[in-house]
Amino acid sequence: MFKGLSLFLLLISLTAHAEQWPGEQWPGEQWPTGPKITGPAVEALETYAFPPRDDSTRQGIRTDALLIIRDGQIIYERYAGPTTAQTAHLTWSISKSLMATVLGVAYGEHRFKLEDPAAQYYPPLANHPGIKIADLLHWASGIDWQEDYEYAPLKSSVVAMLYTRGRRDMAVFAADHPTYAEPGRAFRYSSGDSNLLAAALKGMLGPQRYADYPWTALFEPLGIRRAVWEIDASGTFVASSYAYLTARDLARVGLLMARDGRWQDRQLLPQDWVAFNREPFASYKAGQDEAVPGGHWWLNRAVDGASSPWPAAPPDTFAALGHWGQALYVIPGHNLVVVRYADDRDGSYRHNELLARVLKAVQP
Amino acid sequence: MKRLLLLLLVLLLGWIGYERENLWAFPDIISAYTAKEYCSCRYVMNNDAEYCRGYVKQWLPISQFTDDSASKTVTVSGIGRSNSAQWQNERHGCRLIP
Repeated sequence: MFKGLSLFLLLISLTAHAEQWPGEQWPGEQWPTGPKITGPAVEALETYAFPPRDDSTRQGIRTDALLIIRDGQIIYERYAGPTTAQTAHLTWSISKSLMATVLGVAYGEHRFKLEDPAAQYYPPLANHPGIKIADLLHWASGIDWQEDYEYAPLKSSVVAMLYTRGRRDMAVFAADHPTYAEPGRAFRYSSGDSNLLAAALKGMLGPQRYADYPWTALFEPLGIRRAVWEIDASGTFVASSYAYLTARDLARVGLLMARDGRWQDRQLLPQDWVAFNREPFASYKAGQDEAVPGGHWWLNRAVDGASSPWPAAPPDTFAALGHWGQALYVIPGHNLVVVRYADDRDGSYRHNELLARVLKAVQP
Repeated sequence: MKRLLLLLLVLLLGWIGYERENLWAFPDIISAYTAKEYCSCRYVMNNDAEYCRGYVKQWLPISQFTDDSASKTVTVSGIGRSNSAQWQNERHGCRLIP
């Protein structure tokens, strides 16, 4: 009997910890550090990422932070400009993928299904009853949104949303736009879709639980202590644009994604959720954007007869990307997570070039 | 000639009518952008004031800029409009008011 009980307890502890591999590295309060990479390939990486910086002209590649994690350990880290390891840096549209990750926790708690109509959780979408949560995650709501900002400021929906007519309630502003296509049929990158997801999450949770949810659901379990996520005047997270994390903390999200939604012995995101994030949106047409949209993440996949967006990187590479050069790259097959923060103002930065040089630099 | 000018005037008025919401909001962009992004640069990212002034600089000039560090409120005027952003708390950073 006693033997049977101890065997039972052993079995329970084995199942609870079954998925954590022995010797696997994870960040605790701090990141573990591995052997630092050095040599000519690292110098070539730095030549590209950290050219002499001119804050008055703001021209060229202006990396603020570059952090490389391999096998759960820091192997390269450098900061520039005013940014340090303690800076919670603006992530711009990386926020969108962070909102998807927060939603992944809610998905694991069975708070919604991908095929649910978004209006079920966000009633102002009643005028767009066909939009499903999955459509918003694919940036395929069919809402007639103009994302261009710096070149068409008068017509830009995103500028109006962030700074003028939409700023008090960004999701209502997005929902008030007309339709241009049937939901789920066509890709059009839209910050409005992302903020509709943030508003739908509020409907799933109720306003009380919502206010802390990104912290309780995602940041705290990952040991992220200093995240900032700005809200609009209605209390909805600006999921399109305004999350701030240190480079090291953003890398924690990258590691979670690299390991299929598992954080140590806890499956924080269901594996089918991560699979959805990494599945190309079927109606995406080659060349519509700089990378292939999955479920609110960007994929390095060859689709629709075109080559992959970043040929230097393996096809399992995926990323969260933001304005002015912000990037979180995840390469699960190489156990790599790369965070790049920047203040690139002229578009000269190339993801493929950085990834090529990172991959050379990390070779043993 | 007169007819052509009249036609152009009608088209222009039509365009103004069509775009009136966008046109009315347009002058707010520069001051709202500057106030919001300066506030976040200074009080969320904790960069120094001089760096943040350079960080938010745009090709359109602003006419007035105040940063009240006691209340963490940034007020900016430009092209005849004024906007303020205020730091809210540790988690929620800055936002435009109202």
